[in-house]
Amino acid sequence: MSEHKDFAAAMDSDSRKTPVRVAFVTRRTSPHVKRQDDDYVMTFPEALFRGVVAVEVLALVLVVLALFWNASLEQLADPMQTPNPAKAPWYFLGLQELLHYFPPVVAGVLIPTLVVMALIVIPYFRINIEAEGLWTRNRAGRLRILAVVIAVFVVFLIVFDVFAVLIPSLLVAGLMFYSATNPAAPGRFHRWLASKPLSFWIMSWFLLEAGVLTLIGTFFRGPGWSFVMPWSGQI
Amino acid sequence: MSLGGKIAAARRLLFGDSARTFGTLSVVLLALLAVVPAKDYFREWRTYQKGYLRLVSKRSDATSLARRFEPGVQQVWLPELGVVDRCATCHVALKESSLADVKTQPFRPHPSIPHNLSDFGCAFCHRGQGAATTVEEAHRSTKSWEEPILPARYLESSCGQCHLDRPAGTPLLNQGRDTLAQYGCVRCHTIKTLGGVTLAGTDDPPSLAHIAEKTSREWIAAWLKNPQAYAASATMPNFQLPDEDIRDISAFLMAQSTPYRAGTAAETAPAAAAADAAAQQEGASLYGESFCASCHATQNAAGTLVGGTLGPELTRVGSKVKTAWLADWLRNPKVYDPETKMPHYRLDSKQIGLLLGFLGGKTDSDFLGNRHFDAAPKAEIEHGQKLVIERGCAACHDINGVKKPDDFAPELTLVGSRPLAKILFAPGVPETLPDYIAAKIRQPRSFGNALKMPQYTLAPQQVDGLVTALLAQTEGAQTVPARLRVAARRPSDYHAAGKAGQLIEDMSCFSCHTINGRGGDMAPELTWEGTSVQRAWLVNFLKNPNTLRPALIRRMPKFNVTDAEASTLADYIMTVYQTPAFDRDALDGAHFTAADGERGKELFYGKYACQSCHIVDPNQDKGYIGPTLTQVGVRLNAAWIFHWLKNAQSLRPGTLEPVWNMSDDDARAIAAFLMAQKTAPRAEAARK
Amino acid sequence: MANSLEARLTSLRDTRVWRSIFRSGSGATNLRRALAVQQNVFLHLASVKVRKRSLAFRVTWFLGTLTLGAFLILVLTGIPLMLYYHPSVPQAYADMNDLRFVVSAGVFLRNLHRWSAHAMVLLVFAHMFKVFYRGAYRPPREFNWVIGVVLLLITLFLSYTGYLLPWDQLAFWAITVGSNLISAVPVFGARIRFLLLGGHTVNANALLRFYVLHCVILPLAAVTFVAIHFWRIRKDGGIYSGESKRHE
Repeated sequence: MSEHKDFAAAMDSDSRKTPVRVAFVTRRTSPHVKRQDDDYVMTFPEALFRGVVAVEVLALVLVVLALFWNASLEQLADPMQTPNPAKAPWYFLGLQELLHYFPPVVAGVLIPTLVVMALIVIPYFRINIEAEGLWTRNRAGRLRILAVVIAVFVVFLIVFDVFAVLIPSLLVAGLMFYSATNPAAPGRFHRWLASKPLSFWIMSWFLLEAGVLTLIGTFFRGPGWSFVMPWSGQI
Repeated sequence: MSLGGKIAAARRLLFGDSARTFGTLSVVLLALLAVVPAKDYFREWRTYQKGYLRLVSKRSDATSLARRFEPGVQQVWLPELGVVDRCATCHVALKESSLADVKTQPFRPHPSIPHNLSDFGCAFCHRGQGAATTVEEAHRSTKSWEEPILPARYLESSCGQCHLDRPAGTPLLNQGRDTLAQYGCVRCHTIKTLGGVTLAGTDDPPSLAHIAEKTSREWIAAWLKNPQAYAASATMPNFQLPDEDIRDISAFLMAQSTPYRAGTAAETAPAAAAADAAAQQEGASLYGESFCASCHATQNAAGTLVGGTLGPELTRVGSKVKTAWLADWLRNPKVYDPETKMPHYRLDSKQIGLLLGFLGGKTDSDFLGNRHFDAAPKAEIEHGQKLVIERGCAACHDINGVKKPDDFAPELTLVGSRPLAKILFAPGVPETLPDYIAAKIRQPRSFGNALKMPQYTLAPQQVDGLVTALLAQTEGAQTVPARLRVAARRPSDYHAAGKAGQLIEDMSCFSCHTINGRGGDMAPELTWEGTSVQRAWLVNFLKNPNTLRPALIRRMPKFNVTDAEASTLADYIMTVYQTPAFDRDALDGAHFTAADGERGKELFYGKYACQSCHIVDPNQDKGYIGPTLTQVGVRLNAAWIFHWLKNAQSLRPGTLEPVWNMSDDDARAIAAFLMAQKTAPRAEAARK
Repeated sequence: MANSLEARLTSLRDTRVWRSIFRSGSGATNLRRALAVQQNVFLHLASVKVRKRSLAFRVTWFLGTLTLGAFLILVLTGIPLMLYYHPSVPQAYADMNDLRFVVSAGVFLRNLHRWSAHAMVLLVFAHMFKVFYRGAYRPPREFNWVIGVVLLLITLFLSYTGYLLPWDQLAFWAITVGSNLISAVPVFGARIRFLLLGGHTVNANALLRFYVLHCVILPLAAVTFVAIHFWRIRKDGGIYSGESKRHE
């Protein structure tokens, strides 16, 4: 169906001859404000003072730490004498823990590279931007894919004996399946979980794994990277 | 206003808006930052320095002490030694000898030592963390510094980091190093001292290549079971072997043994003298006259060892050696062992028979027990060989078919710096290095039954000595600058030449006498003997040594030398063993006048009171410390006596004779008096 | 009294000297407040006005600001520490002991630097997760998220290079363990490791390289990327504070 136009659009770069139009207003598109911007405050002093106060609180905490807890200093470095266990800085202990299960090229190269790449590409995926709940569409199909992926992953972890990864993974998988259920009267927690997109699940799984592995590497690994209790005094 | 209202008002005042919060927090932050300089001001060492000033202010010499006191961190910095020691920051009075009565640390002055404190710092000797300025870090084992202060009882070990020269001030260290060498420690463990010199054993572990000729398999077994049951002084450790292992090792040792007189038939052994009391008595007196006890010890009835330590203990020798072997050994020990320290006594068959009878009676029926072995099957012998290899027996003993193992046990060159992380402590042992070493020496097997280190029988003081000697084996000792090292006297491998040289070896003169740096210290040094004595006396002495020093138990034994041998030896000694310092014949005794002698006598008894140590007239003189001088005119040279009186130390360093600094006239007069003493004492004459 | 203090501050702000430094002048006007931000070299990266909602604690937990704060403390403590430090073996360790035992407030400086370093790593991670869970990475902020990832890596590398500098057993073996991982990189692993360490093992060359990375190269990189990060916040529409409210 074509409509009768009582005006014509033309392109002209000369603004003095042709006034610039910002919108075509037709009968069927009347002006309507859909969204309104928020209230603004002056950066100085509102934002600045808050920021400075936050930094001061941090400085207070750190100064108290520095006054009463000494940074450790061990013996002079001796290449001939390897401490057992030799540990990397704490933020790498998750990786070092993985090194216990996988060959170095996997734990030391492949996994960190994949993590960094995954972090970089996050905002460039449509699915992440739309942030639609995982189960809103094609629930049965997605459930099937998830079940297969998790089954393969679990077998893989069991073969490599990686219980430190397996248990948190199963926990996350359990929550995902739970969020996929369709109870008669869903609670708040269930509704919250059900609204979460895939990226949320992956990131949460990553965060949980990183935390668990780092904690194990830091507090539960003794001589020969054996599992010890933190209070055994062998770390 | 209510309390709640007040709090609310205060909150509004302090945190009412972000500017107020900022101000409040800034004040709190500044206050906290002010704690930093405050903490600095109340440092431990400042407290000690204030305490020191308080201490000295009450003393009479307060002004000078306070003037010498330097506030602030004090340090000794010696880049060459890698020393940065700040101990003097708290130990402020190390050099204040006037505070000798102060007993509270850290204010005690340092005891006087042969070194300047500023040349070495503190931690070089005392260990600990010299750079630290807190009590905890400086003295104790911490995360950043493992080695704590060295316990005072092992302090001598630090001297051993530079000194290999047996300083008089370090008896424990010297004793420990001797023990390392005497107990065979260094035969399994390599121990390099400063300058890379490897400590060598001074024990003389016997060769086992011909052991079947010497003793029985039963004795070997009993000995292996417990060496100290045979001889309390045995240095062989107890390997704590099970009986089957002992059976197999003894079987192998008997099997590998070869005859030591390959080809030549043994001389017919003289029969042991009849076992009657008279023969025993005669044997005992021959044992005594031959001064066997100078080297060999025996246990007396009370269980105490009497005798020397140069040779093995003989308390139960009758239960050990075969008579034929012993006869052969007594006739000439060099046949069985060319390296033995035992002299060739040239005994005749009758004498050998007497000694056989005497020594054969020294048995202990309990020691062998009722052991009896039949011929061993091949499997046992082979197992025995395996055990001998495993246990490292060949590290000490020569054994046919078993190679001497290299580095059988861990090297101990750096044991004094061994990191605690590399040590597995036995339960109940305090976790420090000295305690670990001591425990390891005392009870090696407490660290695990599979360990090979045997059980030694050591007195507590010997253990302390060993720990001290081992603690000296530090990394620092390996890097001490060459100028600070005090090397050990190099052992001499001097050998006398020609026929006389052979005789000297045959009679094992070096076992007791030192000549040109080689030899023992049981008897006088002979390096310049040719200058000191007269040939006629020497020949006579060699043939029939009589005593020079009646107070001593150890004397020169009679070697039954022939006239020709005595003459050969005397010629060699008179020609070769001459001091370059003066001419033997420069002072001719014939020129002394009676007047010289009279004056000498006055000086001898008057001015110099020589009779306190020497005897010229046995009826009135009571000196037993120095040699008897009744026949000195026959024995010594006039020139030797003259120079001896002038400065004995230059002729024989370490002799007890004082340095008299006599005038030439006095020395000449006394020499004249002594050269006139030629009479044999009546007692001696009567005995002959 | 409070008023007289305020009056005095105002008159101070009107002096010639003050005006020559801070051009914004006195007076409680929004113009002056805007100028205070705009005319300040350090603040001008920020916009003059911010959304009121973005200042609420629950929005950011101030994690970005705190990370910046930790970085500033690290710079402030790191510079005096450099005065006492030689990047050579074994002097580096001796310098640690001097800081502990001799230098006034040396222990405090080192403690503060070390705790702040740990805090910064923690805060960077926390900042990243907070941003993710709030969905603040979405367009148009996607590139600033990437810059953030780069800053995370720089922070980790800064902390890692600083870890070696005390030259104690902890430092040496942590770096040895970490750098051995690089060898696992296919084909170039050994070469990258050699480039990083200046040798085949962690030695004096590695210490010098780590020192230069820690004190010069990485802080410059961090400052550069922080500037871009802040600039992009402003250019991408300010701090993300959730969807704007629907007009009712």
